[in-house]
Amino acid sequence: MKVLGPRELFEDVQNSGLCIGCGACVDLCPYFRNYKGKTARLFTCNLPQGRCYAHCPKCEVDLDQMARYFWQAPYEGSALGPYREILAARRGPALEGDSFQGGGVVSALMVYALQAGLIDAAVLTGSQGMFPDARLAVNPQEVLECSGSKYAAAPTMAALNRAVRDGYGLLGVAATPCQATAVSKMRMNLLEQNDFKDPVALVVGLFCNWSLDARRLAQFLCQRIDLQRVRRMDIPPPPAGTLVVETDRETLEIPLDQIKPMIPEACNICPDMTAEWADVSVGMFEGRPGWNTLVIRSQVGADIVTAAIEAKFLETSSLPAENLNRLARAGTAKKKRCLTTLRQRQLINHDGDGARYPLRIPEDIAKRLLDG
Amino acid sequence: MSQLLDPQAVTRLYMGNEAIARGALEAGVAVVAGYPGTPSSEIVQNLASVARERNLYVEWSVNEKVAVEVAAAASFTGLRSLCTMKQNGVDVAADFLLHLGLSGVRGGMVLAPCDDPGGLSSANEGESRQFARLLELPLLEPGDFQEAKDMIKWAFDLSEELGCVVMVRSVTRLSHASGDVILGELPSVEKKANFKHRPLPQDPQSGPMHSFPVPQKHQAQQRKLERAVEIFEASPFNTYEGPEQPELLVVTSSACTLYAREAIDLLGVQDRVGLLKLGTTWPLPPKLLGKHLKSAGQILVIEEVIPFLEENVKILASEMVLEIGPKKIMGKRDGQLPMVGELNPDLVIAALAGILDTPYQASSAGYAEAAAQVGEAGAPPRELAFCAGCPHRASLWSLSRALELDGRDGFVCGDVGCYSMAIFPTGFQLTKTLHAMGSGIGVTSGFGKLEQFGMGQPALAICGDSTFFHAAIPALVNAVHNQTNATLVLLDNSGTAMTGFQPHPGLPYDAMGNEAIPIDPVKICESLGAKVRIQDPFDLEQTEKCLLELLAERDGVNVMILRKPCALSPERKKTKDFEMSVDKQACLGESCGCNRLCTRVFKCPGLVWDSTSQSASIDEVVCIGCGVCASICPVGAIKKAEAAK
Repeated sequence: MKVLGPRELFEDVQNSGLCIGCGACVDLCPYFRNYKGKTARLFTCNLPQGRCYAHCPKCEVDLDQMARYFWQAPYEGSALGPYREILAARRGPALEGDSFQGGGVVSALMVYALQAGLIDAAVLTGSQGMFPDARLAVNPQEVLECSGSKYAAAPTMAALNRAVRDGYGLLGVAATPCQATAVSKMRMNLLEQNDFKDPVALVVGLFCNWSLDARRLAQFLCQRIDLQRVRRMDIPPPPAGTLVVETDRETLEIPLDQIKPMIPEACNICPDMTAEWADVSVGMFEGRPGWNTLVIRSQVGADIVTAAIEAKFLETSSLPAENLNRLARAGTAKKKRCLTTLRQRQLINHDGDGARYPLRIPEDIAKRLLDG
Repeated sequence: MSQLLDPQAVTRLYMGNEAIARGALEAGVAVVAGYPGTPSSEIVQNLASVARERNLYVEWSVNEKVAVEVAAAASFTGLRSLCTMKQNGVDVAADFLLHLGLSGVRGGMVLAPCDDPGGLSSANEGESRQFARLLELPLLEPGDFQEAKDMIKWAFDLSEELGCVVMVRSVTRLSHASGDVILGELPSVEKKANFKHRPLPQDPQSGPMHSFPVPQKHQAQQRKLERAVEIFEASPFNTYEGPEQPELLVVTSSACTLYAREAIDLLGVQDRVGLLKLGTTWPLPPKLLGKHLKSAGQILVIEEVIPFLEENVKILASEMVLEIGPKKIMGKRDGQLPMVGELNPDLVIAALAGILDTPYQASSAGYAEAAAQVGEAGAPPRELAFCAGCPHRASLWSLSRALELDGRDGFVCGDVGCYSMAIFPTGFQLTKTLHAMGSGIGVTSGFGKLEQFGMGQPALAICGDSTFFHAAIPALVNAVHNQTNATLVLLDNSGTAMTGFQPHPGLPYDAMGNEAIPIDPVKICESLGAKVRIQDPFDLEQTEKCLLELLAERDGVNVMILRKPCALSPERKKTKDFEMSVDKQACLGESCGCNRLCTRVFKCPGLVWDSTSQSASIDEVVCIGCGVCASICPVGAIKKAEAAK
């Protein structure tokens, strides 16, 4: 994969409105910072190559190269990415708490991994007021403080960068698809640094169809409610079509039509709904409150799920075929939407003409996805 | 004792501004007022230093308009007064001067603006000469250091004879260069002030001072100029040297006299070129001009910046064409000399050599090339930069970061002071508008009202403490009154640092070193209803946090005062808070993760890049130990240790 520097990153991603604010470039150096959900370049850096560009999930992501690296197989463009098994799952009795979004599977896996010593810290997303906040959790309590979905784009990868700098070497990461892409690019050591050691032991992917611009969401909500009182947000499964915001005084239901204009442009060029570059991916289970959908992808993922079940941190059951089909249709639809947008904006390329593009997919796969 | 008070008849090497100050003393000046501005500042400073011995009242006024008003008050009482400022100060004072021209003066009053052709120390190369014509005031221009002293002294007499302010204009190369001056007598004069505001029929020097009735006062003012012309016709400050019938007549004044004389000498064309040096340049004496214009077929007018003298000469030449015949008058309008920037002997030589068709080679072939090679090795290119330990660097660093983090494409409206350099890399190119004193907050006040037209970018104003008092307060009042969303960041370094630490109204002492009442900007801003925060700019983290909060609030007018004395201030000079060092092993240097943030971006002159060790290093000679760079190093490789006191 092509690796350039911060100037190209700034030009291609931030100045082009394609930055999702995942934090992959943040806290690697003094130049990129995230403030209230938005990544800023503080000063110019003129290095021809940098980790900021290398890790960014919105520049020069070659899906085929990544698939061959992680899955030892070409990129196929399947709806849900490679997986071994898809299950229904929820936290087991070993995990107490009541602030989970769905089945509490992400928290359960992270707490279990911490307690079992599989990871030494968990990179998670907390909240600071209305704004998502990159956190490093080193004990179960800190994991539980981060439970619950954040619908705004989060700079979580900044916590990963800080953790690596601070010497953590067995990190668990809960990552949305863009963040999981960034983690994977980081793990590939594209700059071929001699002293690189993969610091990530577990990636728990989070399903994501789109996120919201944190600042615009905060501005929108502050005209309607007291932001300090927000306790929980949820987007219930279709056909609800609303964003539900709960404060300690009231529950506000906002039609998604009013919310969707706040989706960052970066989400429209994302082909991944189920965090395909993770060991396991977790999402909502439509029609069964208190449960999650769990996609087991890698051997690491399979092993931890088995161990977590044994330790009573996790319970699983089979996923009805109807749910799987619905999920696959949604995954395919997102890929098609993404490729359509990429084609329209001329942001996809496969011919190696020297130009820079956010995403590269083998042309036959792209064609199939667009036609499908 | 100051050499300014040396006895008469001795010869002293004086800077032009010292010569001006001595001239004022020889004239028996009583009151001196001005506003600091390069190249004028040393006049007031020198006079302040002898205020006690010479029974003077000397002040640094809050701005140039007030300075002229203070000086005028003295004149109204019969005292002699001098007022100094840089060229654009006259713009500030022009409104009062316009009316003062009509009301006239009583005691001799001299306005000595010092212009800065080329804008060497200015954000403009404005022309105070224009104001003489605009305000209808007589204008004198000394051509050397002796004249600078003598002409000032004469200007006081002239002012009293005419009853109007007399302008004596200097330029950088006269004010800041030095030459021999033969001193005159320092008079013992009784200085007694009394404003005779009640009209006394027997005393024409009585009655109120104002501009009414306007047409009559205006006519009286023009009669004063007519009288000035009569006097100028015989002025010894207008001299001619050269043949009776020169092939080319050079008409010049001011420091250009020196360039013209040198050029004629180097070209060896003394027998072909006549040099008419004018000391009285507005209004021009037509008889004198007519006599010399008639003697030559072609004329070259040599002056700096705009063709002020050239145009006035052309007007007279056209009026006298039947008498003197048609003339070819050259200068700036035909491109012989540039319309911008300073002149120098080379430029004048080039013009003369071309007109006279006289080849001239300043140096042998190859010299320029060899000199350039030597120069390149010996004199590395240097950008304008804040000093080591300058609080502005720290303030602008935090401002720059805060605006980027805020992420709404915000910008800074700059103002006049050292921090004007925020347009350059040393200030992270943060300032996007820069005009006059106090204009930062004025322009910001305007930007803040554009939300109704869809402008979502936050604008921040910066200004220094002296500038705050000079001209920012009215704009701040405007912003508050009109409910603008505006933030003013007051870079309070406790002095008029750029021009040499002259006191301003915020300080507890005055120009003469006496106790003064310090005016607190915090109280002023708060009394206007602005929210005020005070912060130490060296605490980068807190400053950034505070700025981000201010940017987020955007509710009315906020003022943030970043307070830290200038690194060169008497208070901080030769003191060191920290001994700085760099852990060369820890320094990331050019690696990804730093890429020389300290020496490439922050760029304090106390930090240098050591290419041998590929790490940052402290320049012990330059570093003043402020400790700020330790806060910016991403890996803590820059260490600070308490310095021994």
